This record gives sequence, structure tokens and C-alpha cells, in this order.
Amino acid sequence: MTTAPTERKKRGALREEFGNPERRTAYYMILPALFIILVVAFYPIAYSFYLSFFQANVNNVGNFVGLQNYVSMFQNSEFLDGLRNTVIFTGVSVFFEFMIGLTIALAINRAFRGRGLVRAAILVPWAFPTVISAVMWRLMFQDQVGIIQYVASALNIISQPILSDQTLLLIGAIMVDTWKTTPFMALLLLAGLQTIPGDVYEAAKVDGASVMQRFFRITLPLLKPAILVAVLFRTLDAYRIYDLFWAMSNRELESLSTFVYKAVRISQLNFPIGNAASVFIFLTAFLLALFFIKGLGMQTSTEE
Amino acid sequence: MTERTEGPREEATAANTPAVGWMSRRDFLKISGAGLAGAALLGVAGCGGGGGGGGGEFTFTFGPDSSGSLQALVDRFNTEYEGQYTANYREMPADTGQYFDQIRTELQAGSGDVALIGGDVIWPAQFAAPGYIIDLSDRFTEEDRAAFLEGPVESCTVEGGVYGVPWFTDAGMLYYRRDLLEQAGFSEPPQTWEELKQQASSVQQQSGTQYGFVFQGSDYEGGVVNGLEYIYSHGGQVLEDGSSDQVVIDSPESVEGLSMERSMVEDGIAPQAVSTYTEQEAQTTFLNGDAVFCRNWPYLYALVSNPDESSITTDQVGVAPLPAGEGGESVSGLGGWNFYINAAADPEAQDAAYEFIRFASSEEQQKQRALDGSFLPTLQSLYEDQEVLDAVPVIALAPEALQNTRSRPRSPYYSDMSLRMASQFNASLNGDATPETAVQTLQEELTEIVEQGQQA
Repeated sequence: MTTAPTERKKRGALREEFGNPERRTAYYMILPALFIILVVAFYPIAYSFYLSFFQANVNNVGNFVGLQNYVSMFQNSEFLDGLRNTVIFTGVSVFFEFMIGLTIALAINRAFRGRGLVRAAILVPWAFPTVISAVMWRLMFQDQVGIIQYVASALNIISQPILSDQTLLLIGAIMVDTWKTTPFMALLLLAGLQTIPGDVYEAAKVDGASVMQRFFRITLPLLKPAILVAVLFRTLDAYRIYDLFWAMSNRELESLSTFVYKAVRISQLNFPIGNAASVFIFLTAFLLALFFIKGLGMQTSTEE
Repeated sequence: MTERTEGPREEATAANTPAVGWMSRRDFLKISGAGLAGAALLGVAGCGGGGGGGGGEFTFTFGPDSSGSLQALVDRFNTEYEGQYTANYREMPADTGQYFDQIRTELQAGSGDVALIGGDVIWPAQFAAPGYIIDLSDRFTEEDRAAFLEGPVESCTVEGGVYGVPWFTDAGMLYYRRDLLEQAGFSEPPQTWEELKQQASSVQQQSGTQYGFVFQGSDYEGGVVNGLEYIYSHGGQVLEDGSSDQVVIDSPESVEGLSMERSMVEDGIAPQAVSTYTEQEAQTTFLNGDAVFCRNWPYLYALVSNPDESSITTDQVGVAPLPAGEGGESVSGLGGWNFYINAAADPEAQDAAYEFIRFASSEEQQKQRALDGSFLPTLQSLYEDQEVLDAVPVIALAPEALQNTRSRPRSPYYSDMSLRMASQFNASLNGDATPETAVQTLQEELTEIVEQGQQA
């Protein structure tokens, strides 16, 4: 009886939620969806976590080994290569995509003749399936028929074949990704730009604000929500890169995801390390998202 | 490894009877069930046992039948044994790696749906060790085996057991520009790698041909086969003869082999980019007339004779066994496909499957496949058969190459070894590691794989 007040309060809240027939129906209706998410998303992730502490293979769970898989993972030179490549790739490509994307968005935000056509045209690289554009670029980098290799050698920029040099391959991958996903970035930023009302700029102009002041004091702050969404999307996408590396380098350039694939699907012995690496990718991607949402104050819902 | 793609695929599928189409769909659904790796992980045993229908009905898996000659073979078998046995062909992915993944997942789940597997020559050790396929030495007797080529039979042999029957074969060969060699005063193709380098550079100087020699050096399975050919032909080995766990790659012979491969690039015989070449790049260069020599599989000869594909003609091209190393012999990397029987299939289906093996590997049927789809037979007698020689001229040009084949290391953990070898051979060819470091690293890594495997 002594705990009654809080208890009753809680029960009261529950009754309020479930007592109302309309609300109750709403809960019943989202229940199947919740259940499916639990089964197809939560369960596999939790199970991977669990497996990452065992010497598991495809057939059986094996012995408990504690953190051993994570230790061997950080000692594996291919994993470290993949981690390094992925981090460099993500940082550099998202930076360029953002800078170029913002420039494009600002440019096509102005009214000019044929604006609709330009907007549609810049989306072309993004509309290509990644594997196809990766193979296309591989041909362009190739030593015999590749135009890029030809021009770069003719101008004496490089002397070695692009496709057999890890650094050049990574630079190439960053270029291709920038080419491919800048339009996506531009489009998201453009959508953000269009929500900024024109009268704010009018008022600033009347107050005598310069172009630079208007950009840094009005455009950027008001664009912040759109920027965060666009950069978060691209960062997570780039962080999981698989298809571009695999197809463009013919499996020679390692990323975290290609490492997981090789370990889990091709190798017969590295399953535990590959599984640990996939948990590592999930956790780090999750932390990245958390940083954007909590650290940078990204809005995740329209309710304020 | 290399996949043949000749003729339209649609025709082959259209030739399926409705019954076969229905079966394969039903089986497909079963597989997708078993194939979800999750099924095994979640402990959903299901899907096991049974399958294949009653009596002598069984399922046979193989890659896409692009020439249509496989369905024809299955039809011939079903007609011959009507009322007794029925084979149902189930198409698997064209990519050997994917096919392997898929069938391995199925075998791991203990599924007996498939009785007969048409699989790559490199699979037996990986399937025999965990007991997925059965030892055929009782049925495929020593007497039977003597009629087959040595290399393919050797590829089926694991720890004294014989786990497969050779179906058709493939081997690395040296293609050369006969016309250019003659102009430069060479009447014979090179016997040794050193000779190849000399001939190549003198032909290059005289004719201005862009490259001397192209082969497959990329970081993939084909790169492993090429690297091994250099090591084997210099007398080196990866695993001790007949052993699956004694790693002996760190030897002066292996270093010599990889040094020879690397010197092709260093001496300007092969392009630096050869370390990114697969069959396709090597083939394009050679067919464009940009290379004097090319290491490739037998399929290339058919492309040379097709003017749509090639700017050179068969008159300009000769085929020879691969060169030998200093003090070594000529060795061709072995490719090709064998038959294996799933240990989890029910005994009746296994018996029926073996009947199919007997039928398909018989002289008559192998000959038919050679005539229909240019598949190289595994029976020695067919290499003297005039009709076969006429239909597949490359056999007559380099018969030794098909005799002196050696398979890749036969280890239950070959997939892991292959990844390591592909990467080290590629690093050595690319100049990122010296041949000495490459073989030392491999010695350590392969030993570790063997030890890990013994613990697992």
C-alpha cells in the first residue's frame, strides 16, 4: 500500500494509453510491424553479437572465446587495410561531395532558363547502377583501352598502371564515388535551400548584409538540418562501401565490407573474425549516427 | 576459373520439358530455404533427407548449359534408362566461386536433395574432409582409372580415397604467333621460360609488337594457377607430395619460379599491368595482335578462328605446352570438372547417380560432348580419335600440355590458401614484395591455415 501513489500513477498512464479504444486499436495495428522488425532486424543483429564471442562457423556455434575474435581481427593486416581504406574513403569522398554538392545546389537554386533540364541532367551519374559504373570506370582506368590511363601517362602524371597501385586505386575510387553521388548530395541540399523563405534575404539586404554575411549567417544556419541529413546519409553509405571497390578493383582494394564478405563467404576458417568485423561495422556506424543526432543536434522528427 | 559461354542460353532452357522445368522450380524453392545461411545458423534443421523423388530419380547440379550439350546428354541418359533412372538437371551459377558457395551451404546443412554434383577439380579435398561426398574407389576401380588422364584422376584423390570421376578437362597452354616467330628466324616455340624471353624480345624488336608475353596475374584464382605453373615448372611445390598438411612452399625452387614470373615484367617482356590481367585482358591483347605469346586455356583457339573476335587468324597462331623452368619440366595448371556424389543423398539416388557417371564418362558420351561443345575429354583413348581431333584442333596441337597437368594444392582449406596465394603471387608480380618474402610469408600463412584447420 505504501508504494501505491507511484504505482497508481503508472497504472493510470497505462490505462489511459490502453483504455482508450482508439489508441488500443492503434497499438494492435502496429504490433505485427513491431514483431516483424524484432524477427528480421533485431534478432539477427543480436545473434551476430552473441556469435562474435564464439569460435563459430556456418555449421555450429563452437567454443566460447570471449573477446579473442576482436583481438585477432585487429591483428589481421587485411582488416586494418580495409579499415584504413574505408575511413580515408569516407572522409575524403564525403568532404568533396559536400563541397561540390553545395556549390551545385546554390547554383541551380537560382531561377534561370532550362533549370529543370539541368536538375534532371545532373542526376544521370547517380541513376547508374553502381556495379555498372564501376566496371565502366575500370575500363577507363585500364592500361590498353583506358582513356584515363592514356591521358595520365601522356601528361607524365603517372608512370605505373592505375589498376595495380593501391594508392591510385583508392584515389580513383574516391573520384568515382564523388562523380556518382554528388548529385544526390546536391539534390538533398537543394530541397533544403528551397525551404528558406526569400523574405529573410530581403530583410538582410535592407539591413546592408554582404553576400558573404548572408551566406554564413542565413543560408548555412537555416540549411543545417538538410546538411546534417545529407552528410549522415552519405557518410553511412560510404562507410559500408562494397560494390564500387569490389567491381572496380577486381577485389584488390579492401574495404571493411569486402573483408567481411571474404571472411564469411569465401574463407572456411575466418568466419568468426568476419562476424566480429560485421559487428564492428554495425557498432561504429551506429555511433556515427548517434554522433550526428545527439552531438550535432540533428532533428529526427518534426515534433518540437 | 574460365567459363565457356557459347551459343544462346535461352535455347537450352527452352529445350527443357515442362516436367523438368517444374521440378527445377520446386527444387529451387527448396534450395532457397536451405540456402538461407540463417537456416543453418538458426538451427532450422529442415530441408534435409528425402528429395529426388522415389526409385532411381535424382538431381544433378552443374553450371549453365550454354551450348545445350548438357541437356542433350541428360536426355540421352533418361531415354537409355527409361523406367529405371531419371536425372534432373538443376542449373547453378556460372561463376565457379558462387556455385561453390551455394553447394557448400547446402552440403553443410546436410541436405540430400542433390545426389550428383558436377564440380570443379579443386573441390574434392574441401568436400571429402568433412564427409560431404563419398569415396568412389570401390566402384571407380584402379582398372577404370587407368583409362583416364593422370592429372584429372589425381585431382579426385584425397588421402588415398578417390572421391570423383573426371568428366572433362582444361589445361594452361602457350599460344604463340607462328608468323612472327618465323620472320625472326625461330622455327620452334620456346622450350624454356628463358628461351621465351629471348624469342619475345627479339620478335618485339623486329616486328614492333607491343608486348612479348601476356598471362593472368591479377589477384584471383587464375593468378594462383599462373603463379603455380612457374613454381611447379621450376621444381617447387606448395604441399608435400600426397600430403594435405605439409607446407613446403618456402624453397629455392619456388623463389626461382616467382622470380621468373616477376622478370617477365622487369625485363619488359610483359606489360606492368599484367598484374591486373585476367583471361579476358590477356585474350584481348593477343587477339588484337599486340602480343607475341599468350598463356591461356584451350577455349582461346576457337576464338582465334572466329574473325568477329580476332584480328589474327589460325594460320598465324601456334599452340605449345608451357615452357619449362631451368632444370624443371613443363607443367600446365589443371582445370576441368569432375563428378561427385553427395554423401547425404539416399543410397538409391546414389546408385542412380553413379550409373549416370558411368554413362556420361563413357567413351561414346565424352566424344559426343567434345563434338557438340568442344569439351576436352578425360579418356586417353579419345586423344587418338580423328573425329575428336578434327572437332577440337587445339588437342592435336598441344597434346603434351593435357598430359603434363598438375592440380592446385589439395587441402580441405583450399579456399583460404587460394586467397593467400592470390594475394602474395600478385604482390610479387607487381613488385610490392620480393619473391623471397612472398614465399616466406606464404610458408607462414599456409602453415597457420593448416594449424587453424586442425583445431577447428
